[in-house]
Amino acid sequence: MPSASRQPRLIGAVALLTLLLVIALILASSVGATNVSWRAAMSGDATARAILVGIRLPRALLAALVGATLAVAGVTFQTLLRNPLADPFILGVSGGAACGASIATAAGLARLPGVVPVIAFAGACGATGAVFLLARRREYTDPTRLLLSGLVLNAFFSAVILISFGLSRQSDLAAALRWMMGTLFGAQWSDVALLAVLLSISLAILATIGNDLRMLAFGEDDAKSRGVHVERVKLIGFITASIVTGAAVSVSGIIGFVGLLVPHLMRLIWRRDFRFLLPLCALGGGVLVVLADLLSRVVVTSSELPIGAFTAVLGVPFFLSLLRRNR
Amino acid sequence: MLALRDVSYAYEGARAVAGISASFDPARLIALTGPNGSGKSTLLKLAARVLVPHTGEIAFDGTRLRDWPAKEYAKHVAYLPQDPDPTFSMRAIDVVVSGRAPFLGRFAWERDSDYDEADRALAVCDAAHLGGRYLDEMSGGERKRVFLARVLAARPRLILLDEPLASLDVSHVQQFSALLRDIVDRTGVTVVYATHDLNWAAAYSDRMLVMQRGALALDATPAEVMRPDAIRELFGFDAEAVQAGGRAWLVPRV
Repeated sequence: MPSASRQPRLIGAVALLTLLLVIALILASSVGATNVSWRAAMSGDATARAILVGIRLPRALLAALVGATLAVAGVTFQTLLRNPLADPFILGVSGGAACGASIATAAGLARLPGVVPVIAFAGACGATGAVFLLARRREYTDPTRLLLSGLVLNAFFSAVILISFGLSRQSDLAAALRWMMGTLFGAQWSDVALLAVLLSISLAILATIGNDLRMLAFGEDDAKSRGVHVERVKLIGFITASIVTGAAVSVSGIIGFVGLLVPHLMRLIWRRDFRFLLPLCALGGGVLVVLADLLSRVVVTSSELPIGAFTAVLGVPFFLSLLRRNR
Repeated sequence: MLALRDVSYAYEGARAVAGISASFDPARLIALTGPNGSGKSTLLKLAARVLVPHTGEIAFDGTRLRDWPAKEYAKHVAYLPQDPDPTFSMRAIDVVVSGRAPFLGRFAWERDSDYDEADRALAVCDAAHLGGRYLDEMSGGERKRVFLARVLAARPRLILLDEPLASLDVSHVQQFSALLRDIVDRTGVTVVYATHDLNWAAAYSDRMLVMQRGALALDATPAEVMRPDAIRELFGFDAEAVQAGGRAWLVPRV
């Protein structure tokens, strides 16, 4: 047996993606409507510093963190539900967040700072809990019921969102719509710090159950026979991925297809198990969203296009070709 | 080695196995047979610790299953479900080396010694050449060999296979049956496998367990099972026994 087929070489893949992420971050923080340079900011230009350090850098970093979070949640859901089409949004997590946000908007709370993210986060957690309880029968959580519950709840959330929009004031609608389409506009360093901490914790938790989680690929009975505590691993994985998704959605709105697209891309390139894909998805998701956010800012200079549209424009054709492959 | 005493299990009230008592010794090839829905899969899952019996006891090496640490038990007893299918295609070597999971620490990755075990297991299954290939590029017979290698990679003492011969053509059924026989004879492992192929089971196994409606209807040598009257009673199947090559083969009466 050739030794090339042995230990997967994670270091090379991580180094490559880290390099790409750094390049994307430098690009994203250097390019924009206003022409300012890092050199000017370093030499004491207050305007340049305000734009780069106060606006673009936190925005680029938040984009990387949101992308990393969604991709990590995606690969986790795909692994633990044994379903290539699972992603955080199909499971109703984002629908719950959007539902909370739109109700808050209809109630006129959107103009109070910080209210929408908190309510969105609560909505995401509520949806997660509801989906999980609906899918649970006795001691067992059925992956198919989990997906089905998510889909059905999403339909319900969509209805609530439409009704809320109908009840919202015209002046609040623009912001609500922008949130629904995903935006990193107005990213704060506090958002960056919060998400960085949550993402680190969830990566640590997922790495801890990684050896067990990847065994689920062979089926739950098989994993059980290998000494894996299947229900415990599913519960930990599901809750971890959901909470961190809720946090990401609350700061960025709904950015679609990252959670679906990135794990499949990484798997197509490296074709390895969950333990290997976890760090790659974190980095790859970061690269994708940083670039999508950059495009959303620079394609037209007069306004910002929704970032969710750019990830979806990339994601939908991929999703469809994936469906064809899996037929 | 493994001893079941009066074991019963029911799925949401529907009885699956009831009052099973049996024990398995080292170095035996044991065929588990019986009509569809007679409880074969459930019995294997109980022995593999996938399910916990509702009543009765199962003990391995004299220790009750519930007293065995999960990972420790998995080092001794390996189970192969009926249609194992990793959600995403993997290379055969990665599939096989994942059979070493019970030996890994929480954060540990497989080491070279684990890959050596995987290579060895592939070689035992005549599948060394498949190591670098992806599962979705393989025939059904090749996949079965890879998954058998995965089970062997942990060097277990008891192997439980759920219908490993299903959907194999007749030549592969024979090859695979001979392979199981060979592994048992060479390594001293005990293999219990569920099968519907009475003739092949009788030709290669040491002992046959026949289940009927959740109960163990017959636990006997192949010669004792392969009698038309027993087959009619257990399977509701009209057959006559034909002598060939020094053993009885069952031929359906049309």
